[in-house]
Order: sequence, then C-alpha cells, then structure tokens
Amino acid sequence: MRTVSVELTGVTVDFAIYGSQRSFRSEFKQAAGGIIRRDGRRHRTVSVRALDGIDLRLEHGDRLALVGRNGSGKSTLLKVLAGVYAPTAGRVAVTGRVSPLFNIFPGMDPDDTGYENIVTCGMLLGMSRAEIMRKTPDIAVFSELGEFLSVPVRTYSAGMTVRLGFAIATAIDPEILLLDEGLGAGDARFADQAKARVDGLIARASVLVLASHSEELIRSLCNKAILMQSGKILRFGPVDEIMAAYHQLSETEPAPEPAALALAAG
Amino acid sequence: MLALGLLWSRLWKQDFRDYLPFLCAGMVPWVLVSTVVTEGCFAFTSYESIIKSMRFSFTVLTCAVVWRNLIVFFHNLLVFVVIAVICRVPVNQNTLLVVPGLLLFFVNAVWVTALLGLICTRFRDVAPLLASMLQIALFVTPIFWAPAQLGLELATFVKLNLIYHFVDAIRSPLLGRAPGMISYEAILLATVAGWAITLALFSRFERRIAYWL
Repeated sequence: MRTVSVELTGVTVDFAIYGSQRSFRSEFKQAAGGIIRRDGRRHRTVSVRALDGIDLRLEHGDRLALVGRNGSGKSTLLKVLAGVYAPTAGRVAVTGRVSPLFNIFPGMDPDDTGYENIVTCGMLLGMSRAEIMRKTPDIAVFSELGEFLSVPVRTYSAGMTVRLGFAIATAIDPEILLLDEGLGAGDARFADQAKARVDGLIARASVLVLASHSEELIRSLCNKAILMQSGKILRFGPVDEIMAAYHQLSETEPAPEPAALALAAG
Repeated sequence: MLALGLLWSRLWKQDFRDYLPFLCAGMVPWVLVSTVVTEGCFAFTSYESIIKSMRFSFTVLTCAVVWRNLIVFFHNLLVFVVIAVICRVPVNQNTLLVVPGLLLFFVNAVWVTALLGLICTRFRDVAPLLASMLQIALFVTPIFWAPAQLGLELATFVKLNLIYHFVDAIRSPLLGRAPGMISYEAILLATVAGWAITLALFSRFERRIAYWL
C-alpha cells in the first residue's frame, strides 16, 4: 500500500452569492449600463468566506473528527478534501484515493434493476468492474433484497432503496474516507448490522475524516479532532481535549447573530 | 413526418416523392442539432448531486450527452431508410460522405455541449433563451424548403447559418448528393474556433463549476 497523505496549506474558500445575478440578462445590463457603475454599485456580488486559511496534515491511521457549530465550515472542508470545490486560495495535496460518502446513493437509477445499480454506483464510487463482480454476492446478502435485485429499483420501498445504497457504499475499500454525520440506514434491526458494517468500512480506511455533532460517534471512531469556527481552525488535538473546548465554547458564547456572519463586499 | 411531407409538398407544389426524402433527410440531422443544444445546456446542472458529492470528470458528463444523441440519431435514421427505399433515393459514392459528415458533427457536438454546459450553469437564463432561438432557427434553416427556392440573392444569407452547414453535410449524402465545399469549410472553421474557445474557457473556469451549481 502506498503512503496515504493529505496536506492542506492556507486553504481558503469564498462562495460568491448569486441572486438574480445568475442570469445573463442582468450581467448584460450591468455591463451595458454605465449609469449603474457611476452609482458605485459595480461590485455588487456578496461573498461568504466559508474556509479561511486552513492548514492541515493527515497521515495513515489518522481518524479525524471535525467539530463545530452549524455553518462553521465542516462540510465545506469535507468537500474541499473530496475535490468538489477547488480552493479560492491555498493548496490541496492528496495522495491516495478519496472516497466521499456524503450521500449513500449517488447515481442510483430508479429504472435499472438492483444488480445494474450495483455496477453503476460501484463504478461511481471508484470500484473496478472485477471488484464489483467480486463484491456483488456480499452486497446482495447484506442488503437482504434477494430476488428483488433483479427488478427495477423504482419498485422498492424507501427502506429497501436505503439498504441497497448503504450496502454498495459500505462495500468499498477506501484509502481516505470522508463522512458527513455518519451513514444513516433503515429500521432498528438493520441499524445494528449497519453499525458493524460501517465499523468494518472505517477499519479498512487508511485515513478517516468525519464531520459530526454526535459526541458518541466521534468518541467511538476518532483519535484526533479539530474545532472549527467561522471557517477557521480554532484548535487541533486529541478528541477529549477538543470536545471539552467545544462544550466550553457552546456555553460561553451565544450562537452568532445572522448579521454577524462573515459577509464581505467584493 | 408523413403528414408534414404531404402538406408541405402541396404547399411548395413539389413532387411528393422528391419532397418527403428531402424533408426526412433534413429533419433527422436537425433533431440531432437541436437536442444536442438543448441537452447541452443541462449537461452539468442535471448532475448537480454527483458534481457536489464527489470529484467527477466534466468530460465524462459531456460525452454522455453526445453519446446518447448518437444512439438516438441512428434510431431516427431508420425512418429515413424506410422512406428512402420506398421513394427510391439514389445510393451512390456520395452516400459514403455521410460518414465524414457525422464524424465532423460529433467532434463539434463535444465542444458545443461542454461550452453550453459551462455557460448555462453560470447563467441560468441562457437555456430558455436558446430554446426559443432554436424554434426560430428551425424555420430559418432550410429544412422544410431548399435554399434554391429562395433565389440567388437570399441563398447567400443561408450560407451564414452554421446549422445549415451541419445539416447539409449529413443531408446531401443521404440523398446521394455531395455537400457543398463551403459547408466543409464552414464546419472546419467552427471546429477550430469552437474548440479553441471552449478549451480556453474551461482552463479558466472549470474549477468554478461546482461553485456555480
């Protein structure tokens, strides 16, 4: 196995907020109308700094929890690690295959049968055809769908679809696994088996990054943690220390007013 | 198609046996052009959930649109084959020119889809705008009528319409005729210019697509 590593240097992400400016017509009017410019309203785009100068280094064996209030940048950080958002500034260097599991059924086609969806979703999650073939029996057993795997997914109940998506998503062999609030799955009886399966998945991963509000989940899965606030890393360290700091933060500081959100013109 | 063929051949006072194959040979590539343009607009926006949940190649999403339309084209082509057999459309060496015509079309379809996908993700009002422009284009482009019917002066204007050249490069060979040299010249020019613009825009804005969704 090659050395898996993740290194972020000064990663910053700005989201431009497009309202009516998502239209070509308004851009055109702005470009064509000199009057608006003279108003000094030329740069009307509002942007939100979701991540601000994040430095982070992860290696094999790291099980990192991202802790922080809603809107502190946890999910954005995960998406930067997944390669969804290219940072506005800074550098991301990742060695190893990244498996983001934010959503347990990306690419599931309701008109295809369960078996066909195992192939499609499996490939989307980065598995080779041979790997999928090898894992199909395991997925079939775990999802408990039996003969239903031969009929289109649109005929499944919601619970069945979740079981299939979950079984496929947890069949991968991840190097760098990214999870947002864990993976929820089905009824209570299924939940126990699901937990065992997620534990197995995480054990196979070389690096785990988990964003969560659940202290229980974090304590059982992670060995390091980051406390985030307003897109910055407030503190980095062992889970106990960070959880204590998080509780302290929640008690001492009231939740920020909406007006205090980092809105920057330009 | 049959109803349109009957009606329009009467309107233009043309022989049904000439007009129907002409109409069909023009409609099939027209449908191809128009679906590539309409679907190209949604090439990225309709895969928002995938783009936002993992790193995914925009080239694959683009090629998926083009590939789907290639398959649909060959299904539609069957209609023409049936009409061609019934109306005894000549098959000769010119017919083989349909191969370069199609190849050129698909080489261009890739950049058109990628470019429209990019622009329509950023500017959400471009897709409806293009949709209504396409409706006008259907009537302005010689699909229902031949450029010769316009008379010499106006026929020059037709040559400014790029869609006409793409349609002609496929339609003429289907009817056993050679497309005009000017069609190939126009298409080659569009290929070079289109790819250059698309690659330039992608190298600059590809990283931003996820932010625009």
